[in-house]
Amino acid sequence: MPGDDRTPHWRGTLLHIHVAPAASYEMEPLDEATLIAGRGIEGDRYCLGTGTYSKLPAVRDVTLIESEVLEALARNDPPLQDAPLLMEPGEHRRNLTVRGVPLAHLVGVRFRIGEAVLRGARLNFPCRYLEQLLGRPVYQPLYNRSGINCAIEQGGRIRVGDRIEPL
Amino acid sequence: MTPRLIMKLEVAAVADAAPGVRVLTFRHRLRPALPEPEPGAHVDLHLPDGRVRQYSLCGDPADATGYTIAVKLEPEGRGGSRWVHQQLQPGAVVPVSAPRNHFRLADEARQHVLVAGGIGITPIAAMARHLARCGAAFELHYCVRDEASAPLLPELQAACGTRLHLWRSGGDVPSRFDPHRLSPPPQPGTHLYCCGPHRLVDAVLAATAGWPTGSVHVEHFAPLYDAGFVPEAFQLGIASTGATLEVPAGRSALDVLREHGFMQPSSCGIGVCGACECGYRVADGSTVIHRDVALDDTARAHRMTPCVSRARGRVVLDI
Repeated sequence: MPGDDRTPHWRGTLLHIHVAPAASYEMEPLDEATLIAGRGIEGDRYCLGTGTYSKLPAVRDVTLIESEVLEALARNDPPLQDAPLLMEPGEHRRNLTVRGVPLAHLVGVRFRIGEAVLRGARLNFPCRYLEQLLGRPVYQPLYNRSGINCAIEQGGRIRVGDRIEPL
Repeated sequence: MTPRLIMKLEVAAVADAAPGVRVLTFRHRLRPALPEPEPGAHVDLHLPDGRVRQYSLCGDPADATGYTIAVKLEPEGRGGSRWVHQQLQPGAVVPVSAPRNHFRLADEARQHVLVAGGIGITPIAAMARHLARCGAAFELHYCVRDEASAPLLPELQAACGTRLHLWRSGGDVPSRFDPHRLSPPPQPGTHLYCCGPHRLVDAVLAATAGWPTGSVHVEHFAPLYDAGFVPEAFQLGIASTGATLEVPAGRSALDVLREHGFMQPSSCGIGVCGACECGYRVADGSTVIHRDVALDDTARAHRMTPCVSRARGRVVLDI
C-alpha cells in the first residue's frame, strides 16, 4: 500500500537467462527456462550437480546479477581498471541478469519471477575462478556487487522479459 | 593450472590433408570470434565418454574466427584420433576448450629455427604462419617421408617460401635432415622449437646441447618413454588438511586424490598437458620422481603432476 513502510517499492525485469551444462562450460542463452523447486534451472550445472561449487552446502539453485552493475563496469565506475570492463551477457556466469531489482536487499526476501517464487539466500562473492576462466581482471570490480544466490521455493516457467516483484 | 572456458564448437569443415591426416575447422555457432590463440597453443577436445585429448592449433593464429587442428589417425593409439576420424563430420558439435600454450615463441628471440617431423608440424605451422606475417627472421625444417605424406605442405610453401626446407626420408632421392647442422652454437638470440617423434626430438636435443640454456623448446605429444620404470608405493600428504593418503604401487596419486574427494583438475592423464600440476614439499630423505613431459626443470623444483609423477617416501601436496 502506498505510504506503508512495510511494502517494498520496486519492480524489475528479467533481461537474460543463461545456463551451462557443467563447470567451465560456456554459458548458453535461453529465451525461457523451467525452474525446479529446491534444485535449479533445468539443464544448468547446479541443477545437475556438475558445477564448480556443487559440493558446497550453500544454497545455489539459481544466481542473479544486476545489469546496472555490468553497465557500471562498462563505464569503469569506480575506475579500478585501466579501461572499461565489458562483460557480455553470460560471461559473468550468473543465471539471470535482471534490471531494477535491488539484489543486495533481498537476503531472506521472497520474490516472484514469471511463474516461479525465489527466496534470496546469500550475497554472491566474486571468484578467482571466473577471473581465470575469462582471462580478465574481474575479481575486484565485482567485489560487493556480484549478485545473489537464491533458493527456488516454487518452480515454474520463466521467460526473458518477465516482471520481477517482491511478495 | 588455470581453468579454461569450454565452448560447444561446430565442425565447419573437414578435409584430408595427407593419407591418414584429417584437418578440421571448428567455429562457434553464436560468436564470430573465439578467444585468440597464441602461436604454438593447443586446445582440448572433450570426447563423449569423458576423455580429453589435446590437439595443437595449426591455422593462422591471427584468424580467431575458427580453430583448425590436424589429426593423424593412430590405429593403435588410445582412441582419440579414431573418434575424430570416424565421428566428426561438418555440423557435429564438440566441447572444445579455450587455447592454452606450453610451446611459446620466445619474445626475446631475434631469429627462430623451427623443426617439425610428420604430424608434429601442427604447432610449428601456426608459429611459421605468425613469424612469416610479422616479417620475423626464421627457417622451417620439415621432416617427412615424402611430399605426398606431408600435411599442410601447400599452405606452408605459400606462407614461408624459401624459408621452408623440406627433408625427405623416402622417395627416389632421400634428403634426410641432419641434426648436426644445428650443433655449432648459434648466433646470440637464436631460439629453436622442435615437435615430432621422440627420435627426432632426442636427436635435436643432443645436437643442441651446447646452445644457451632456455633457447631450445620442444613439444611432446607422447608420454615419457620409460618402459623399465617400476612404480613403488608412497605417502601423499595434503597440506590443507594434514591428512596422509597411501598411494599403492599400482595406482596414480591422482586416482587416490579423486577417491578421497580431492577434485584436482586433470586432462590428459599421461603427464603431457600439465592440467593437474600442483605445488609440493618433500620430507627429508624423500624425493619426487617426475615422470611428466609438461614441466621444465625450474618448475619441477616445486611443482609436480600427480597423474604420472610419484615419490619415494613422502610428498606433501599444496592442495
